[in-house]
Amino acid sequence: MLGMPEPDPSVLARRGDIIATMRDILPAPGAVITDADSLRPYECDGLMAYRQLPMIVVLPETVQQVAAILKYCHDTKIRVVPRGAGTGLSGGALPMADAITISMMKFNRVLEIDWDNRAITVQPGVTNLGITRAVEHRGFYYAPDPSSQIACSIGGNIAENSGGVHCLKYGLTTNNVLGLEMVTITGEILRLGGKALDASGYDLLGIITGSEGLLGIVTEVTVRILRKPETARAMLLGFNSSEAGGNCVAQIIAEGIIPGGLEMMDAPAIRATEDFVHAGYPLDVEALLLVELDGPKVEVDYLIDRVGGIADGCGAVYARISETEEERLLFWSGRKNAFPAIGRISPDYMCMDGTIPRGRLAEVLTGMQVLSQRYGLRVANVFHAGDGNLHPLIMFDANQPGELERAEEFGADILRLCVAVGGCLSGEHGIGVEKRDLMPEMFTEDDMKHQERLKLAFDEDQLLNPGKVFPVLHGCGELKTLHARSVADKFPDIPRF
Amino acid sequence: MAETITPTSPAQLRDAIVWAQETQTPLEIIGQGSKRIYGHAVAAEHVLNLSKLSGILFYEPGELVLSARAGTPLSDIHAALAEKKQQFHFEPVDFPVVLDGAAAPLSGTLGGLVACNLAGPRRLKVGAARDHVLGFEAVSGRGEDFKSGGRVMKNVTGFDLSKLMAGSFGTLGVMHSITIKIMPCDEKTRTVLVGCDDPVLAGSAMTAALTSENEVSAAAWVPASHAAKTGGGDRVAAMGGGVVAVRVEGPGPSVAWRCDALRKLLSSFGPTEALHSTNSLALWRDIANVGPFAGRDDILWRLSVPPASGGNVARQICDQTGAEVMLDWGGGLIWAQLPGDDAAQADIVRQIAVGAGGQATLIRASATLRAAIPVFHPQDPAIAALNERIRENFDPRHVLNPGRLDPARGA
Repeated sequence: MLGMPEPDPSVLARRGDIIATMRDILPAPGAVITDADSLRPYECDGLMAYRQLPMIVVLPETVQQVAAILKYCHDTKIRVVPRGAGTGLSGGALPMADAITISMMKFNRVLEIDWDNRAITVQPGVTNLGITRAVEHRGFYYAPDPSSQIACSIGGNIAENSGGVHCLKYGLTTNNVLGLEMVTITGEILRLGGKALDASGYDLLGIITGSEGLLGIVTEVTVRILRKPETARAMLLGFNSSEAGGNCVAQIIAEGIIPGGLEMMDAPAIRATEDFVHAGYPLDVEALLLVELDGPKVEVDYLIDRVGGIADGCGAVYARISETEEERLLFWSGRKNAFPAIGRISPDYMCMDGTIPRGRLAEVLTGMQVLSQRYGLRVANVFHAGDGNLHPLIMFDANQPGELERAEEFGADILRLCVAVGGCLSGEHGIGVEKRDLMPEMFTEDDMKHQERLKLAFDEDQLLNPGKVFPVLHGCGELKTLHARSVADKFPDIPRF
Repeated sequence: MAETITPTSPAQLRDAIVWAQETQTPLEIIGQGSKRIYGHAVAAEHVLNLSKLSGILFYEPGELVLSARAGTPLSDIHAALAEKKQQFHFEPVDFPVVLDGAAAPLSGTLGGLVACNLAGPRRLKVGAARDHVLGFEAVSGRGEDFKSGGRVMKNVTGFDLSKLMAGSFGTLGVMHSITIKIMPCDEKTRTVLVGCDDPVLAGSAMTAALTSENEVSAAAWVPASHAAKTGGGDRVAAMGGGVVAVRVEGPGPSVAWRCDALRKLLSSFGPTEALHSTNSLALWRDIANVGPFAGRDDILWRLSVPPASGGNVARQICDQTGAEVMLDWGGGLIWAQLPGDDAAQADIVRQIAVGAGGQATLIRASATLRAAIPVFHPQDPAIAALNERIRENFDPRHVLNPGRLDPARGA
């Protein structure tokens, strides 16, 4: 079972005082949640295997309220768990028994659309899709599109540096954020970045993005918006092996073509999604590529021809091109519904999120089949092939004793495999609690201590989202101590002049 | 006595920094030293020279990734990329040439490029060096090895320390290996030129281009005084005055189509013309390298402002200081060359930048002027304090490039 920091009995003993203070700061009805029934919906996020009732939940609606809450928590040493829409898949918003969960979902307004600077400023509780909805009437959109985009909040996207299917061409959240307003644990309100592209000093905007709620609470977000491409068309390309599909991906990129979307599914994923949404996927192929090309019509037509030629050369046994917008969306509906499709054929499933160098795909898929047999659990794969991000979906039945644990071990072994071939533990879901204890697979103690030193600069008492990301929390003293290791004779081997 | 320490392996680099840390000996970190006159003078007698930590570790064109030692010459990397028709997508400015006319083209190293977070005209579409670093290995000012990121495109495994290192000017740690994302060169490039002498009107033309659906990959304005000298060929010179340049890149048919669309769209701003690939590449190399002002001695400022305000900001700078200006990033980047060597003008430049919601950096000036005023834009006190705490935790004894960013704080 997951080890989390022990609740502090002295904080629990103060619960009544804490509630009273929160009600002073947040007078609105329902802004402070304290009874068990109302706390229940907050006991987990999208990673439902782990649950814990929070001490209380608060729902501020102004930046001043957030600052007052955090300052109080800092001054009286109360832990804080930030929460957006609660769709995260790595347990980053898992509550703690002695912590205040701060829900940011009342921050749900669009503040400014600056068409000339191609920027929109919103509050962090606005959904990812909500941003596109706010600007699409003038032909604009927000590019990163995680598959939870209808529900996930932009604040959560910042915390996890969310991706989606368009990352290879349009970048991740971090490449699309222009500015943030955030509150530190001491209650200071900081503005980072803005509509101008460069700012002096260390790139705080860059490190806040993807920091999983460990460095501060974001209260305002400015992102860049893009003009929607005139046309988009999708191609389905089927192959007799994952190797052939992977090779086709490599060839497309080698020819200098960067598609808007480049997805791959293996046979189990194809079957499950086809049964579910009837997207017209071929059932007799081992790998299916979904390639989307976007831009002016003349460009899309030209590239469709070229990709078609490349696919032929790579031994494609199936090819279909979307002729209408409805058909394009139908092609995507299978891929976008892969998770619920797996949910239909298995009582439970676990979605992993490793990234690998693309060229190692066949090897990793083979390794996964070996593991699948060893653990006696099925696995289906959807893969952001363009950027090497794998989503193995491990199927299990939590009602069978020991199966959840087996699935977790299977998942951990898949991620170890990803790291072993030069990849990483998480491409877009974050570490949270789910992959926390695997961090040493990628990082040395000193690597992690340097990350923690960054944390310390923001949150010396480690009150923000403790128990997440780092398997072992080192104390402030230990992190700051300089260990003497005298280099005896001033490094005689190094050339000097 | 001042020494130059030249490690030949990451282990030797660590030994050197451990020594510096334990003896509290500050070090100036250089690769080729091509950007030493950028920023403040480092308060260190000893030099840590990384030029022997050199060489491409791996380059996999199909994976769009390259990894090299930090001291690898950029000229070597550009040559390797060109062979595979690939590039740094962020199109970095050849900064040493801007600072010093005597610098050899493509001077500098990969480490310096990342440490200064350089970028070029494509910044407005694809970001700067920070957006392309996938991972690094370094030794911190504590004398400890650390790394972050990796070699894959998508990675949220722990804090993104690559962002922290990019643009940190070597003040937190010394990178010895850097892995960076590469992109293919586009098949074709075309540039729409619009004759336009007024920076405000030029700003409006660039905004119109950038808010259109033509996937513009660069938009700049070159003043009349330089337009004839860009290397972009006769057609640029024939415009007979200042020129707005708007670039599209991609497959041939798409580029032709978008170029036509942009010419129609921008015709109300002035006479238009189009450049094909060869002349486009020459023009944009010149713009990336700040052709009008490169290699001269006059004071050079670089303002980063919201792009749509660029035209107005440029006009104010010209009116109030007598500067010559050039715009890039659709107006978001303003290069301003000022006559004289006057510290008082610095306040005017900074006030104008701040008034537009931007910042101003002093790129080129005499040592006296660089010592007299902050080179980098002063930060909000709370953010400055946060920067200082980060510095304290990574380099507690301030042995790495002390004073480079902010002499007053020893940072």
